Amino acid sequence: MNMRVLVIEDDIEHAQFIEKVLADAGHNVETIGDGFGGLVRAREDQFDALVVDRMLPEKPGLQLVEEYRHAGGTTPALFLSALSEVDNRVEGLQAGADDYLSKPFAPEELVARVEALGRRQPQGEPPVTRLRVGDLEMDLLSRSVRRGETRIDLQPREFKLLEFLMRHAGQTVTRTMLLEKVWNYHFDPQTNVIDVHISRLRSKIDKEFDQPLLQTVRGAGYCLQA
Amino acid sequence: MKSGPFAFIRTTTFRLALVYTTLFALFSAGLLTYLYQATVGASRAEATARLEAEFRTLAVAYNRGGPERLEQSLLERALVRVRDFTYQFETVNGQTIVGDMPRMPVDTSDDLGEVRRVTFKVERPFADRGTEVTTIEGRIVRLDNGSVLLVGIKMDERNRLVQRVTFAVATAAPFGIVLALIGGFFSASYAARRAEGLTRIAEAVMGGDLTQRADIGSSGDEFDRLSERLNAMLARLEDLMETTRHAGESIAHDLRSPLSRLRNRIGAALRDEMSVESARDTLAQTVEEVDHVLSTFSAILSLARVGNASGETFEVVDLSELAEEMAELFEPACEEADLLFDAHIERGLSLVGDRALLAQAISNLLDNAIKYSPAGGSIKFAAAEGQDGVTLSVRDSGSGIPETDRDRVKERFVRLDQARTLPGSGLGLALVDAVAQLHKGSLTLGSAGHAEPNVGLLVELNLPKRV
Repeated sequence: MNMRVLVIEDDIEHAQFIEKVLADAGHNVETIGDGFGGLVRAREDQFDALVVDRMLPEKPGLQLVEEYRHAGGTTPALFLSALSEVDNRVEGLQAGADDYLSKPFAPEELVARVEALGRRQPQGEPPVTRLRVGDLEMDLLSRSVRRGETRIDLQPREFKLLEFLMRHAGQTVTRTMLLEKVWNYHFDPQTNVIDVHISRLRSKIDKEFDQPLLQTVRGAGYCLQA
Repeated sequence: MKSGPFAFIRTTTFRLALVYTTLFALFSAGLLTYLYQATVGASRAEATARLEAEFRTLAVAYNRGGPERLEQSLLERALVRVRDFTYQFETVNGQTIVGDMPRMPVDTSDDLGEVRRVTFKVERPFADRGTEVTTIEGRIVRLDNGSVLLVGIKMDERNRLVQRVTFAVATAAPFGIVLALIGGFFSASYAARRAEGLTRIAEAVMGGDLTQRADIGSSGDEFDRLSERLNAMLARLEDLMETTRHAGESIAHDLRSPLSRLRNRIGAALRDEMSVESARDTLAQTVEEVDHVLSTFSAILSLARVGNASGETFEVVDLSELAEEMAELFEPACEEADLLFDAHIERGLSLVGDRALLAQAISNLLDNAIKYSPAGGSIKFAAAEGQDGVTLSVRDSGSGIPETDRDRVKERFVRLDQARTLPGSGLGLALVDAVAQLHKGSLTLGSAGHAEPNVGLLVELNLPKRV
């Protein structure tokens, strides 16, 4: 999936780093160094995702996203910030951003989150009730999962975890993303709690089948792929 | 503070003394005015009333029996010699009929029946003391046959009273004002002295000496209470300074070793002729090392955030739900580590707090329990209603912490010898402790085993329901 990403970041070195990371992942990246110019670009062109630094000259990131949303802009936005505190995260999301990533971050984390933004459900279309990856199928209404002909029983949390992975099929999702989106916690557990949940899920959906769907992406996270 | 010949005017002592004096003077003036009114005024009013009554009595005598009856009455009065009244009754052409005085001392009016008020002085010769001047207040009327009647009352008795009271006031007032000044000065200078003492402490502290403490008297007044709070504040500051200094040193120490390892590895990689494969391995190790440094920094930042938090992120937290979720999150990890996980969480526990920080704290405790319990052991996680709040407890089956070290491990960067080989920043428990303090709760470490004191660690986080 090739995305057009607008990066609004004033620190040149950092902007180049983001540009390289996203370009390496196969996306088209455009960079702008100030908030005002960024807002103009975001409005006049159709991007798939915005990456916005919170501290910007001319116009702070928070205000930029607020004004962009106010004017009807729908492109999903990701905040980058050195302010990692939870209240700032909430503030950013309230301003209209869709995700929040604090510096420093691993490149894989950035790619995973930007790609996750691109997969957002476009507004106005009927909600998806069925997810499918290879022969793995999830019915969101009856909350049932089957692989091929086999019915798979999942605990509620496992269901939620699998749903998230299936909605982001083909993309790498990181451990922190899972903790944030599936458990709704924003902290850094020292132990491998997420890995264990993944391996439990894996034993249910992959163990008795020939083709494994849930891959581990070394140094980054996981990817569900047919 | 500026000094000069009039610097004392700006001092609180002077101002307070001035205020006290003014207040006292005002009060004294008020009191004396009242006293004057109550004595002199009343006495005068009484004299006037008697004069009016006497005048009316004589008027009645005249009305009933004419000039003869009036003359008769006056003569009777002369015989009785009513002490402080004086009379003068004259015919139309100024001849005295009855009278104490040689002639009418005031001008007479020609209007018949009109009663006038008059005040006049009479000089009387004394054999040995010259003359005596008497002030008299009187009523004068020209009766309808043209004769004139004057009735007067001597006011001298009253005037002497006025003089005595005035004299008393004039003598007492300066004494009072001097006393007020002295009293004001003493109480104000007490306040100033105490304030001066506190100023000296503040100056010493600004100069960097945090060991200074204010004197506390035995009276328990506002200054003593202020001094107590100030001392408590200084103790806390000193504590914080110590912690900060210690933390700064620890950060430097803690980061120096991974950074120098990093440097050595990169240096070696640069020197060596290595294959792409091993270069990648080296880089992967390097990234791991850097990640460790970064996570230490994150932990330091989290800790700083908790230290600076003031409770504006507080909300009602369903602690039962939070604990259930954390148990669910960690249970598989325990199983993976071959530990028996048992969660006992009471329903309906809630408190006012920061949900994210409480989650982080529980996560740190469970992380530790998993990390320090050997395979085959067990972890018991409980949340229960305590005496005055909620108690979260984690029991592990690790080697425990000796009693002497239990307070120390809550400090930043403190890692016991046995833990040095395991991953960790030494900030986990410090963060839990900081979260406990933010919620006005407490973190206590104990032994999980009753029989063997050093088997297993029991960590209890007590949190009040409302901060």
